[in-house]
Amino acid sequence: MNKLNRLTRRQMLGVLGKATAAGTLLMHVPMFAQPSAGSVVVIGGGFGGATAAKYIKRRNPAISVTLVEPSKVFYTCPFTNLYVGGLRTFDQQAHTYDELRELGVKVVHDLAQGIDTDKKSVQLAGGASLSYDKLVLSPGIDFKWNAIEGYDQQAAELAPHAWKAGAQTALLKKQLDAMPDGGVFLMAAPPNPYRCPPGPYERISMVAHYLKNNKPKSKILVLDAKDGFSKQALFQDGWKRFYGDMIEWVPLSKDGKVVRVDASNRTVETEFGQIHKASVLNIIPPQKAGAIAEQAGVTNETGWVPVNPQTFESSKVKDVFVVGDATIATPMPKSGFCANAQGKVAAAAIVNALAGKPAAQASFANTCYSLITPDYGISVAGVYRVEGGKLIEVKGSGGVSPRDANDDFRKLEAQYGTAWYNAIAQDTWGTRG
Amino acid sequence: MSLKSFKGWQTPLAAVALAMSATMPLSASAQSVMDASILAGSCFNCHGTDGRSNGAIPSIAGRPQLALKNQMLAFKSDQPPAGTTVMTRIAKGYTDQEIDALALYFSQIKQQAAASQKDPQK
Repeated sequence: MNKLNRLTRRQMLGVLGKATAAGTLLMHVPMFAQPSAGSVVVIGGGFGGATAAKYIKRRNPAISVTLVEPSKVFYTCPFTNLYVGGLRTFDQQAHTYDELRELGVKVVHDLAQGIDTDKKSVQLAGGASLSYDKLVLSPGIDFKWNAIEGYDQQAAELAPHAWKAGAQTALLKKQLDAMPDGGVFLMAAPPNPYRCPPGPYERISMVAHYLKNNKPKSKILVLDAKDGFSKQALFQDGWKRFYGDMIEWVPLSKDGKVVRVDASNRTVETEFGQIHKASVLNIIPPQKAGAIAEQAGVTNETGWVPVNPQTFESSKVKDVFVVGDATIATPMPKSGFCANAQGKVAAAAIVNALAGKPAAQASFANTCYSLITPDYGISVAGVYRVEGGKLIEVKGSGGVSPRDANDDFRKLEAQYGTAWYNAIAQDTWGTRG
Repeated sequence: MSLKSFKGWQTPLAAVALAMSATMPLSASAQSVMDASILAGSCFNCHGTDGRSNGAIPSIAGRPQLALKNQMLAFKSDQPPAGTTVMTRIAKGYTDQEIDALALYFSQIKQQAAASQKDPQK
């Protein structure tokens, strides 16, 4: 991008959507001047982005694909709960980008800080800019800091969210390890929608597993901003059976909503003024699409990204495809599995579009495993398609593990959970856990 | 779009026409076709890329088409085989036509990747 373009980038964002269709398209002429199979920039190297980059290359190696991801090593959120529970090392959630490079993806370890969807270019923090024919955003989530009074980035250094894998996860584990026997682990669980619907409750299970074996006099208090949660009956059956009365879950309607946090004193205040004190305070705040999505102008008033479910192209901005947790893809949950599945559908649609062909029918599935103990796993599954322009869960499909399943069934699902992780990690990054 | 307009695409008007026609089909979902490789994409997430598993979940690549089809239909039935966990919930999400397409797709993939692929173990 030349200097003039750089100067006008913000102004360009400002007029986005106001330009006439013809005017917008005319400005693309210089970028069409080089005949090629097309170029795609993918922002974000998680489950959605890495998968999209890989599957575009697999479907058409002639397409130029650049993946922009700040981290050289990506740590998945899935299975960090098992690390917190002492079942895995942190490095088992680490993945790199060697396989993508071998496939011919140009991997750039930089931060995308500006997107000009009019000029179709991405500005990197390091100074370079990248132009694209099609852009894929897989930005994950960001937090609504201060939506809970007193809970900002600084407070998170004392009361970790650990809802993005990395230093926050390590901090939570360190605090749990340092917690005295007889202490209280307090989690503030988030309102919908948020990343990984069963995640908070698997974390509670894994913390309980650790405490039962190491600090059995301790308590776990879950203050929830909602009245129900994913796989609730299965979790609560498991909690009662394995952890007795260690875990107390307080729903929204029983004053479960945390409205204020004092991170230094590790206290929280609920909607109706109850104060709770914790030894370890885990605040999972309300969420929205990752910041770059907002910057690109693809989010709506909810803070999330509406998409055409057939292709996962933004419904607001042409040639920008958005996958993963940032999207509004109900009834699909915000899971790594779904992000990967959406990445594949977007990849196929992009490859077809660059060849002048229509997108084929979209199809998605999801399976989320959660552990209650190392040998007791539960799952929720779904199969999704597009009908009448809307994503739907196929009637009669999906759902949670049977409530009356025997221990062999639970053990199998625990094993399948680990097998799932290894399979999807290898599918996404080429490395297993 | 004719070849002729491709040749003239550096003129502004043709560029407009090209850009518009290239994106129009994306919204024409009513005419979209079934693509077994898209249906199969979600299977990879547990059964491994191309259906080649690296763990406890069975590989489905290169198995006989009829065996794959019958297994999926058994999962889909109201009396799935003993020991079935999640697959009965997943198989119910696919039409018999889609199951046929998936069975054909995975039966045509070689059980092992080409020898040039490196060991995926870290």
